Formats: sequence, C-alpha cells, structure tokens
Amino acid sequence: MDRLGFSFDHPGYLSLLLFLPAMWYLSFRSLAALGSTRRILAILFRSVVFAVFVFALANVQFLRTSDRMAVIYLLDQSESIPAAKRQWMLNYVVQDVKEHRRPGRNDLAGVIVFGRDALIEVPPFDDDIPNVGRIEAQLGNTDATNLESALQLAQASFPEGSVKRIVIVTDGNENIGNARSVAPQLARNGIGIDVVPVTLNARSEIVVEKVSVPADIRIGQPSNINLVLQNYSETLTIPGKVRITQHLGPNETLIVPETAVALPPGKTVLRFPHVIEVPAPYRFRATFTADNPGDDHLSQNNTASAFTHVQGKGRILLIENFENPGEFDFLVQRLRENKIETDIMPSNQLFTSLSELQAYDSVILANVPRASAVEGDEIDSNQVAAFSDDQIRMLVRNTEQFGSGLVMLGGASSFGAGGWANTELEKAMPVDFTIKNAKVQAVGALVCLMHASEMAQGNHWQKVVAREAIKALGPMDYCGLIHWDFGGDEWLWNERGNGILRVNRRRRKMLSQLNGMSPGDMPAFDPAMQMALTGFNKVQASMKLMIIISDGDPQPPRPGTINKFKQAGIKISTVAVGTHGPAGSVPLRRIAAQTGGKYYKATNPKALPRIYQREVRRIARPLIFEPPGGVTPQPAAGTRHEILQGIDTSAIPSIEGFMLTTLKENPLVEVALTSPRPQPKNGTILAAWTYKAGRTVAFTTDAGKKWTSSWTDWNNYDKLFTQMVRWSMRPVNEDHHYSVATDIKDGHVRVAVTAFDNDSGEFINGRNMVVRTVSPDLTSSEVKMRQVAPGRYVAEFPAPQAGSYHLAVTPRPGDGVLLSGIDVPYSSEYRERETNRALLDALASTKPNSGQRGKVIDGSFNEKGISDLLNTDTYRSTLAPAVRSQDAWFLFVFLGASVFLVDVFVRRVAIGRDWIAPTLLFIRQKLLRNVREASVDATIERLRNRKEKVQSEIDLRRAATRFEPASETEQELAGDTPDLDALRRPGAANSPEESPPPSSTGGVTTPDQANDMDYTARLLAAKKHAWKNNQRE
Amino acid sequence: MQFDSRSRKNTQSRRSVLQFAAGGGLALASSCRQPSASTGVLEKVWGQRGILDGEFQKPRAIAIDQDDLLYIVDMTGRIQVFDGEGAHQRTWRTPSIKFGKPCGLSFDRAGNLMVADTHYYQILFYNREGKLLRNRTIGGKHGDAIGEFSFVTDAAQDSQGNYYVAQYHEHDRIQKFSPNREFQLRWGKLGEGPAEFNRPQNLALDESDRLWVADSCNHRVQVFDTRTTTPELIASWGAAGTGPGELKYPYDIVLDSKGHVYLCEFGNHRIQKFTLDGKWLAAWGQPGRRAGELHNPWGFARDSNGRLHVLDSMNHRIQRITL
Repeated sequence: MDRLGFSFDHPGYLSLLLFLPAMWYLSFRSLAALGSTRRILAILFRSVVFAVFVFALANVQFLRTSDRMAVIYLLDQSESIPAAKRQWMLNYVVQDVKEHRRPGRNDLAGVIVFGRDALIEVPPFDDDIPNVGRIEAQLGNTDATNLESALQLAQASFPEGSVKRIVIVTDGNENIGNARSVAPQLARNGIGIDVVPVTLNARSEIVVEKVSVPADIRIGQPSNINLVLQNYSETLTIPGKVRITQHLGPNETLIVPETAVALPPGKTVLRFPHVIEVPAPYRFRATFTADNPGDDHLSQNNTASAFTHVQGKGRILLIENFENPGEFDFLVQRLRENKIETDIMPSNQLFTSLSELQAYDSVILANVPRASAVEGDEIDSNQVAAFSDDQIRMLVRNTEQFGSGLVMLGGASSFGAGGWANTELEKAMPVDFTIKNAKVQAVGALVCLMHASEMAQGNHWQKVVAREAIKALGPMDYCGLIHWDFGGDEWLWNERGNGILRVNRRRRKMLSQLNGMSPGDMPAFDPAMQMALTGFNKVQASMKLMIIISDGDPQPPRPGTINKFKQAGIKISTVAVGTHGPAGSVPLRRIAAQTGGKYYKATNPKALPRIYQREVRRIARPLIFEPPGGVTPQPAAGTRHEILQGIDTSAIPSIEGFMLTTLKENPLVEVALTSPRPQPKNGTILAAWTYKAGRTVAFTTDAGKKWTSSWTDWNNYDKLFTQMVRWSMRPVNEDHHYSVATDIKDGHVRVAVTAFDNDSGEFINGRNMVVRTVSPDLTSSEVKMRQVAPGRYVAEFPAPQAGSYHLAVTPRPGDGVLLSGIDVPYSSEYRERETNRALLDALASTKPNSGQRGKVIDGSFNEKGISDLLNTDTYRSTLAPAVRSQDAWFLFVFLGASVFLVDVFVRRVAIGRDWIAPTLLFIRQKLLRNVREASVDATIERLRNRKEKVQSEIDLRRAATRFEPASETEQELAGDTPDLDALRRPGAANSPEESPPPSSTGGVTTPDQANDMDYTARLLAAKKHAWKNNQRE
Repeated sequence: MQFDSRSRKNTQSRRSVLQFAAGGGLALASSCRQPSASTGVLEKVWGQRGILDGEFQKPRAIAIDQDDLLYIVDMTGRIQVFDGEGAHQRTWRTPSIKFGKPCGLSFDRAGNLMVADTHYYQILFYNREGKLLRNRTIGGKHGDAIGEFSFVTDAAQDSQGNYYVAQYHEHDRIQKFSPNREFQLRWGKLGEGPAEFNRPQNLALDESDRLWVADSCNHRVQVFDTRTTTPELIASWGAAGTGPGELKYPYDIVLDSKGHVYLCEFGNHRIQKFTLDGKWLAAWGQPGRRAGELHNPWGFARDSNGRLHVLDSMNHRIQRITL
C-alpha cells in the first residue's frame, strides 16, 4: 500500500522560518489600522505566504512510499553452462515467481538473460512469468559472460516506486566486465542481491591451446608448425585426430590430413614440418577431434590458428557481379599477361574475414553492386547476395589500416547505381556516389508501403528495411512511407499534404521518425496505393519505384489502380514475408508482374535488408550518364597523374557512358581523366587518392565492355589498367628484412618485430614503429611499439574478444607494411570448469542501503533440486520500502501566490457586517420559504427608514443654508476649537432624539456622503469662529 | 478511402434505387420504432496482452453462445471461452496456424462453433467444449473451383440449415452449401457495384433469412434475400467517411431483434447503431488506448441482455458497453 509524505531537498532554507516572529511583530504594529480581526487574518495569511515560499525554496517534494516488490532475475546463458542446466534455470524462475510473488502487493517480476551482452527477456510486470519453454530474446553471442552489463541493465530496468531485488542465476565465471564494481552502486540504490549458484561438474576436456609458426619462414625452406594441446582429464589418455589446413585468401589447402594422436593428461606439443612455395600472407588452422565425443565436452575450444606473412610479389583480387560472370575476363587476361597475379571472386561467394583480403595487395570491385540476384519472376531472398556492413568495413579496413589498394571499376551496377551510396566504402573513394546538382536530372522517388503485421518481429524488420532504403537514397531523391495507423493509411512524414519528400537534409529526421513507426493491419492495398500515386504525381523524378512489404492478406488493389501505375511508368516491387500460404503470395506476385517490378519471397527476415538494397538501386538509375554520341575523356588540368605516365592522352578513344559522381572536395584527390559533360564536377572518369595507409581509385566507366567497347583495341589499354592497378597496390618491403612474431598471454597480444639490415648485417635501431590492429568486431586502433633490445621492437594490447586480430606494422613512414595476425581461438568461457563461488558470495553479501544482505540460495538444477531452491522466498520483505519523490515547489509557488492575493484582499477591502442580516433574511424568505407577512413588514420598515433618512438629509441641508448657530450643547462639546470629529458625526447638529435612523443601505457609509457633510459642517464652524473673534475685537 | 468520383456517383445512384426497392421490407420493419440518437455506456474493460489463459494477443473474432459465454480467437490461434465478466473457462487451439489464424467465429443452429480458418480456406466446426467435429468441415482447398475458397472470413446458417461462407482476396464472393455441406450456389465478385464485394468480412442472418453482409472495403452493408432461388439484393447502404452514419471498414455486423443493426468499424475505431434501413442512431468509441477508446476493433458480440462485448484488438482487450 502506498503512503504519502513530504521531504525537502535543501532543508537549510527552512531556517528562514525563524524570521516569522519578527514578521509577526512588525505586521502587528503596521496593520493596527485594520482592526483586530482583519489584522490577525492578514498576519495569518502573510505567514502562510512566507512559509510556503520558504518551502518552495527548500525544494519541497511529495513522497510516496511503497512496499511493492520488483524482482529481476538474471539468467546466465553463456556456453560454460550446459544447455540442459540453462533450461532448468528458466524453469526455476517461472516457478519461483509463481510461488513467491504477492499479487495483492502488485509485485513485479522480470527476467534478463545475458552472455556476452545482456537483454531483457521479460520486462518487469505484475504477473507470473509465462512458461513458453525457451528463451525468446535474440541474445547473440553466448561465448562470454558479462555479468556486469546484466547488473547494469537490471538497475536501469527497475520501475520507480518499487522495492528492488536482483536474483542472479549463474556459475559466476565472468570474463567480460567486473560485477564487483557495480555491486556498491546497487547497494547505494537499495537494491538487494540474491544469488543462485549454478554448480559445474568436473568433466574430461581437450583444449587446443595454440598453433605457432616461425615468424621468419623463407620460400622453399622446411619449417615446423607447432601445435599445443591440453588434456584436462586427470587420468585418461584420450585418442583423437589432428588436422591442419593452410589458408591463402579464400583458398584452403590440407597440409596435415587426419593424423591419429593419443593425448595423455596434461600438455602435449606436436610438430609438423611444412614448406611454403608462394609468398603471401598465410593462415594455419589446427583442429582436434576426439575419437569418443564423450571424452571432450566442448567443441568450441578444439580449434586454433596462426598467421604468417611471407613477403613476395603482388597479388590482386577482382570481385565481379555474379549476375554477369566473365564480364571482366578480358581485363583479367591482360593483367595476368602483365605479370599481375589476379584472382576472381564472384559476388555470391564473398570473403568472410579480413584475413582473406590480406592475401591481396589490391582489391578491384568490377561493376559489382552492393546487392545482386539472378533475375527471374520470383526471387527467393536466399538468392540475393549482398555485401554485408561487415564486409564493406573489411574492404575499407584492408585499405585504411593494412595499405591495400581499392579500385572501383564502372558499369551500370557500380557506384551510386550499385547501391553503394552512403556506405563506408563511399567515404574511402575519391568521389561521392550521389550528386547534389539540381541541373542534372538524376532524381529518383521511392515509396515504401509497410504491412508485415503478422510476421515475427515484423515491426522491427520493417524499421530495418526502411532504414536501409533511406540510407541508400541520394540527397536529391524523394522518399515516402505509408503505413496503417490510427487514422488509417497514413504517410509517416508529411509536409503540407506531401508525403513524398526530398531526402536531402531530412534524412536524419526521417530515420528518427522510423522509430515511432508501428504499422498496423492494413485492410486493403488500394487506398494506400492511390495515396502513393497521388504523391508520385506531385514530384519530378525520372525514376519512380514503390516497394510493398506484406504478408499478402490485405485486399488486393483494383485493376484500375494498377493501370494508373503502369501508365505513370511507376514500378512496384513486392516483398512477401510470412505470407498465408499460396493465396497470400498470388496478389503480390501479380502486382509486381503487372507493373514491371520484382517479386521477392523472403524466407529469412535477415535477407530483407539485402532485398531493399537491391531494389533501391533502381532509384539510382538516373546516375547512369549515356550521352548520345558519347564523350571523350580528357586529362585533368595540371600535373599528369602517374597512372597516365606514357599514355598519349590526346588519343584516348571516346566512351559511350559513365557513372555520375561528385568529386570530393579534398586536396588529396587527384583527377586523371574527366568529362566536360554534364558538369565537370560530376564528370569524373578517373580519380585517385591516398586514403590513410592505402590508395583508392575510381574509374567510372567500364573496362572494355558496353561503354568502352572500342578500348579493347586501344594500344594503351594494358598500360592504363596495369598502371592503375599497380599504383593502387600495397608497397613491398625489399630493402630490409623484418620478422614479425605474435603471442597471446593473459588476454593480451604481444607483437615483436626484429629489424635487420640485409646489406650491412646490422640491427636497425631507433625506428618509431607503429602497429595498427583490427579486432574481430572490425574496430581499429593504433599502438606504438617500443624498442626493447637492438633491432627488437615490442607492443602489447588487450584482446578481450575471441576471433582474429589483424596486425599491420609500419616500420617507418613510406615503407610497406608488415602484415601479421593472431587468433584468440575461443573465449575463456570454454576454459572455465568450476563455479566462481567467491564472486557470488561477495555479491550476495553486499548490504543494500537500509536493507539486509542477500542470500546465496543453494540447490541443484533438476526436478528435486528446484524444490529446495524454492524454499527461499525471493520476495521477502527485508529491504527498505521504496520511496518515490516528485518535485512540488512549483505547486507551492502557485499556492503562495494565491494566498498572497487573499492577504491583499483582507488588507485592502473592508467588509461590514450589516449585509449579514438582510442576507439571512433573504435566505429565510427565498430559500427556506418563510411566511409572507414577515416579508411585507420588513419591506414597510425599510421604506420607513429610508423616508426618515431622506428627511434628515433635507433638514441638514436646510440648516447649512440658513447658517443657523449651533446649539449650546454642540458649542460646549466643540470648545474654542471646532471638534472636527464631532462635526463629522452624522446628525451632530441635531438633538439626540432627532438623530437619523441607521442607513437602509447598511453599515457602510459612502465616501461622497461623508465628504459633503464634513465640508458643510467645517464651513459652519469656521464662520462661527470668525464671528466670535470679530466680537472680541 | 478514395473513389473515382464518377464510379462513386454511379454506385450511389444504384444504391438509391436499391434502397428504394428495398424500402417496402426493411423500412416497414423499422418504421414502427424511431429511437433517438444516443451514445454508449462503458460498463467493463478486461483482458490484457499476453499468452497466458485469459490474456490476448490481438483478438480478432468473437461469438457468443446461448448461455452468454464468449468465444474469442486471437493471433496465437487460441480459442478462449469466457463468461460475461471475463472469467476464463477453457481454451483450445485450431489444428494449424503456420499460414495464419482464424478471423471469423459464429454459431450454427445446433450450437456448434463455426470457425473461419481463413488461411486454410475452410470452416471448422467445434462443439462448445472445444472438440473438433471433423466430419462437418466445409472447404479446405484453395482455388476458384466449386466449393474451393480463397481467404474465408465468416459463416452463417439459415433457418433451413443452409450454410453461407464469405471469402475475399482473389475472389470476393459468398458460397452457399446445403445442410449436408454440399455446394449449392455462389454469387458476387470483386467490385463496388450491386451484389459485388470488396472483402465481405462478416455475415449475419435475421429471422427472415435475410443475409446481411459487412462489405468492408466498400464501406457499406448489403442485404440479400436468401429465400429466393438466387439470392436477391434487397438493400445496400453506407458510404465511406468518418462522420456519424458513415463507415470505414465495417468488420463485423450484429442484428438485434428490435430492428437495429450494429456495425463494428475497424477503421473508425467505433461501434455504430442503425435502423434496418441505415438510419444512424448512435455511436460509441474513438481511437485511443484508454478505457472507452478503441484501436482497430475487429469484432463484437451482443449478449441476451443487449450488452455489446467489443474486441479492442490492437489494445488486446475486451470492452463491454451498452448502446
């Protein structure tokens, strides 16, 4: 039950109340003229006003105290706990809430699950936890335990005004964060902590500790690959097989086939000789498989890998659009003939790690779009291939951190038309992929119709795809979004009736508005499509596209509406998600077919962004510039670029088209070839720049295909493209010999470089070496190396994540980089084999503010053990009641101002009492229906009084006019000096018997009457006085 | 909803003719009482979002039996039974929900629950305890042939035992089946003309076997006399809009025996009450999430005391009113 009270934030101000007695004293004297009643009232109100303002200054607050309890359970879902045990943990929580929650107290229960991150599974609410038999939150990585983030999330999730307790169900083996650091903060906030330890049983386990390869491998020389394995069993020798593979880019070679080994308890080191024939960055991966799976519980810790980089000639990778295989075969052939090793990678078999890219000194994106798919009537989402955000980041990191080149070759599916606008790749290139030139008509318009109400997490995915669409549009493009809301079909953004707006400066606002989107269950497509049609007709765009995402059950559009779209040349692509069987997909397929759009069947929601990326490419079609008669590329004014060395630029054949771009306004950007049309700024043909550690090149026309078909016969074709590629390639160290060794210990990577001058045979000292690192999540950092011995440089950095850390050492500015890397093969999660009881005891013993310490609830996670766990009441009242405060100073200021008005009223307005009797009389007559006779008497009495008053006034005026001497009685009262007060008395000139009756208007005398009488009486007295003086003289 | 002005004009003129033609029957029935306009009174709000018994995940259809028990299906595919005060009685599930969930419930004359299993193109029959009466199922096959369906929305049974099943999406029509569930006839197609449909979402039969159709995306009500060999359109009223008496996606229709028609408007978030010839009498509800406000109501039911139990679908609850 809630209780109410007050408190003050700044109680020091309350000392001002000590001034109250002084105020009373001063007021008592200064308000003496008001009379006793009004004076007391005025002082009272004045005191209230003063006190209320003092309370406001002290920041008075309303307090609401509650004993309602909220318990949030933190469920450890990390891999160190077997899956069966995690299921029992969930069962325990469900039963515990059911058993102990007090519905009468409106107790709340919530669940947070955590692994590497923490997520809310069930937000705190006043009901039992539904037992759906599984965890529903998309937790992601569970290869680590981050109890600290779970505690912080719990703290932030508690509702105000409730007693708070956290129940942690975990083995306590945290390997990210520090839960102890959060505990004091929780205690200060009065949050209690109970702990339910999850006990881990001892088991046999094999761990591949490390693979190591020599840092100074030489071509053709045998070297050893060392493999370190650990058998945690105390007695068992575990038989199994070892396998080692060598990876060069995407190519995998088996160098140690399945080899039988028997691992005794403890550590075993195996050595395998190996010879490397081709210089390149290599990665070696070793795997152990136990013959009896029961001997090795965790498979995640059975793999380790190592890197080495054997310096040699350059090698490049050309990524082509898998929709058009062989499109660049001519170029590849010419490059190979010019001694440039070139590998081809289709866009549907893309690299998956940065280490694959490290094998190449330059990467060419050859007319490849961000998302592509084989054309057809129906495109399954799984057939759509696209560069993920991570893959784009890998491409960019490979250049900016590891010095690789990045070349973008043109074609109708490249640059802006390839859907690369507003990506990280665009930042790395010397040109922007969109144009902001109003004179160039390259404007598209997109309307997204959102209806995916029955899809799992439909609202989330609709926001994701809408975000992708908006991000992919250029600034001059238009975008609208229709969804079903309270008012029916509505534009998500709308300015003066226009729902299709230019993206330009609104992009950020549009993206933020998506957060508020909650599309409902649209009954019919037709009204929304008609809205879109009206909107499309209002904008000038050379490409108009509508994308409908739906489960297919709204009523299909009328044929007439479809015809209007066709007549307007507006294509509609449809994306079917969670359709209701065949019937749901037919109308969507039909809409796409009738308007010339594409029909996508999304079987996997994660593919939705790829679909939108591919579709939005259509909007960018106007960026393709194909002028009639073509254009001839011209060398840019100024210095000739290295790429054009030895090429007769006056004889460059004309081209049929290229992609419009916008040249970056950066002094590092060098333009080699350009076109005067449509605008020089948008007509870049060839531009290049140095982007951090690497170089990037933009070539906006193609390489001997549709737009440059005449170039294949051009005698400078080879020279242009080989020079372009060679300029971009990563430089190679040839002058000195460097060897790079890496090691990991206690969660830290150690990089050691040995520098030795081949010519002089001396160590190289005094270098300011820098190592750039890219962690598994593709974040990059830079670490300075320190020299620790002659020719030896060392750097260390923490490696908290499992995965590959890629390294690039720059011996000195201008030198080629030395590539290396190291794998953190698995999280320490897979090493932990015992419960961290010390941590759990420490958390439970933390004493919350004004409450009792928590409990460690021991028991087993099985059917019998859970009943033991339930013996402890997690909803027990051992914590301080929750107090919720709310600022009230503004209410007090208002109250003070109101009372002040009353105070002024009391002091300034005098209210007589004579109105009371007539009022009472009125009430008696009118409201209480008293007798009629009494009313008549009262009226006659009032008339009589009035008559007498009027008569007396007339008499008084007469007396004043005649200047009659005052009576003796009056003269005695007046003395020599006229007594003005006496004269002011009404009827003072008359005898007491003739004194006028009380005024019929009540006890209030009007100021005009008083003034008239005063003046006449004073005049009379003055004349008498003057007359007396004359007589004496 | 936007209409082509010419077609709307034509449609309205046809409606006028139909209303005039139907005047004899329906206007006569309603002329004996002229209730004045009023608003509803909210009596009770119950239910919350959830998947436990007694909770809802977007309830989509409701039916009421002779004992005033409420049968409600939601987006989890559960059919839950409640008394009029919201006390949960029992729950069962439809056989499959992979393709979608039912969106229509009604009772046949034998007291069995007819479930429009929309995305499985069939009408399922359950007894009141939740036992599936498999031999009574109507349909089950997707298509345009006789007895095949696209998305079924609702079913009704007339005094002769014949069944009427409405469907929308690829083929908007109504099909009639004999008491033995044999195909009899079908009528209607997608359109906005007389006897054409645009998502016939709900059916109701009156004592005279007149079939009332909530023609939702045409924002109107159509009435057919089913006693004739071929059902004959005898009335059509309603126009798109948000004002009193105007309609926006009527998803459910209920008749009382006092000459009133109640319509549940998905798009206007309200319940409206009309005379049988379409004269507006009362309305209740407005968009919102507070008590007394609705968010995309899908259906409602009227109990023996005249109280209306409204599915406040997107607020995942039930509101009980009198109107």
